[in-house]
Amino acid sequence: MRRKASSIGAGWRVLVHVFLIALVVASILPLYNVIAASFKSADEFVMNPFLPPQSPTADNYAYAAISGRLLRYAVNSLVLVPLGLLVYLAVCISAGYAFGKMRFRLRLPLFLLVLFLTIFPQLLLATQVFKLTSLLHLTNTGPGVILAWVAYFSPFGTYIMTTYFADMPYELVEAARLDGASQFRILTRVMTPLAAPMIATIAIIGFQSMWNELPFSLLILQDQGSRTITLGIAMMRGEFGLRVPILSAAVVIAMAVPLVIFFIFQRRVTLGVTAGAIKG
Amino acid sequence: MRNRGLERDGIAPYVFLAPLLVLLVAFILYPVIMNLVASFTEWKGYGPMKWIGLANYRSMLADQAFWTSIQNTAILVCYIPLSVAVTVFVSALLREGLRGWQVYRAVLYIPNLLGLVIIGVVFSIYLRDDGPINLTLRWAGGPTLRFLISPWLAINSIAIIKVIWIHLGFGLIYFLAAMNGIDPGVYEAAIIDGAGFFQTLWRVTVPSIRFAIEFWVVFNFIEVFARMFSLIYTLTQGGPGYATFTLEYGIFIQGFAKFRVGYSSAWAMVLFLFCAVISVVQIRLMRRSSV
Repeated sequence: MRRKASSIGAGWRVLVHVFLIALVVASILPLYNVIAASFKSADEFVMNPFLPPQSPTADNYAYAAISGRLLRYAVNSLVLVPLGLLVYLAVCISAGYAFGKMRFRLRLPLFLLVLFLTIFPQLLLATQVFKLTSLLHLTNTGPGVILAWVAYFSPFGTYIMTTYFADMPYELVEAARLDGASQFRILTRVMTPLAAPMIATIAIIGFQSMWNELPFSLLILQDQGSRTITLGIAMMRGEFGLRVPILSAAVVIAMAVPLVIFFIFQRRVTLGVTAGAIKG
Repeated sequence: MRNRGLERDGIAPYVFLAPLLVLLVAFILYPVIMNLVASFTEWKGYGPMKWIGLANYRSMLADQAFWTSIQNTAILVCYIPLSVAVTVFVSALLREGLRGWQVYRAVLYIPNLLGLVIIGVVFSIYLRDDGPINLTLRWAGGPTLRFLISPWLAINSIAIIKVIWIHLGFGLIYFLAAMNGIDPGVYEAAIIDGAGFFQTLWRVTVPSIRFAIEFWVVFNFIEVFARMFSLIYTLTQGGPGYATFTLEYGIFIQGFAKFRVGYSSAWAMVLFLFCAVISVVQIRLMRRSSV
């Protein structure tokens, strides 16, 4: 963005910076607090709950990762979420292409149905989702939670892909058709590569949604060994008498992946926020 | 969409849509419909369903926890105008091209990355009676604020964390993108006319991003009605008592802790009605901007 004419005088600018820095502090302080606590021994935490650790220790991390099983949960998440993401992308791209570039009688009613179903809270669906997964013998399994995730998160991804495909020139489809390509071939060889930027964007959205998902994992992954990292953290929080520094270390471990993703893909994340909303 | 004549793509579109539609019917549409049926029955979630007519709805209307949930949702909704004001104001400040505005935008976005479970746990540590805020207050000779113990403070803390603290960074990116679409000439003209910051904000910026603001309000409604569970579950677990219940949390407790699935379905129907209205409003906004 280029520098614009400003209606804020030079003197006020200092005040504005002070205000913005206060906001930054307010949004970082709770996170700092957890990170600082995660490096303190239980004794030090009692004496020094807020300032940086005097004698930093990594014991809490070792305890959270091994005894707290965080490592196991992280591995579960690192397997389940990418697999879920692949299914999610396949579903959203194929449905988005159908809505965005194909002509069929039920296009509008079906598209409105998808939009209508985007927002219903997970708890509203939870009973039946649980019944369905147990009926299919998918309780405590990866496929069970992946199906529930994809079903719940794909309407929004489909909406974004639909608007993106709809904006692409129809001539692309026509040209490929004249060359005798099938619809499947047009989608996989022509449209998908062209839609790569938006696919990357919904991939980030989908990744975050699944990585941070709680209600469905809570119901479907009841066996301790199958928990995701987010579920593991939520259950640790409820454990009676678990020390704050250990819980903090667990939280820091769980924060790591989303933060790394953000710093690598910052621009995509930014695009993702605006993709689902109004254009221009 | 442009009219491309009457030619149709035959069966192919339905094949492309099949995976999505199968999942939606199985995991969303069918659950919503079954929920309506279950709300007229006494049912544990397994075993036989016993038809009891409107009895669940009657008990719900007599249930103090239900009304507390409604009241809490209303409190959350009351923070939405504040969220709009704060977010638009800070976006307008960043729009002025202050040095480092991108850094502010990026750092303020961080809470959005972490997910509600992590944030719930983080604040359960931060807002303890001997957490940083209370230590500071005590050091300054003030009272201890029992954020998670006092019912009134607890629900308001949740509201501030979710509607203001988390959403700010998300809204900044969103509104800055919307403001970026405004013709810079309009701002230059306003400055030449001697308009100050607030005048420009009120006369130029706000009218130009009206659609974005409407969208933002709807987004906030969705979050407040349909996306609060994970935060409440990890921050207060609905407590103290049922002081921080929302409809979502009530459904969870009645259905999955007390196994009164029929009864929890009555709560769910109320939530469904609210969400259906919000969804229709959202679709109207979306259709205005696309398809």
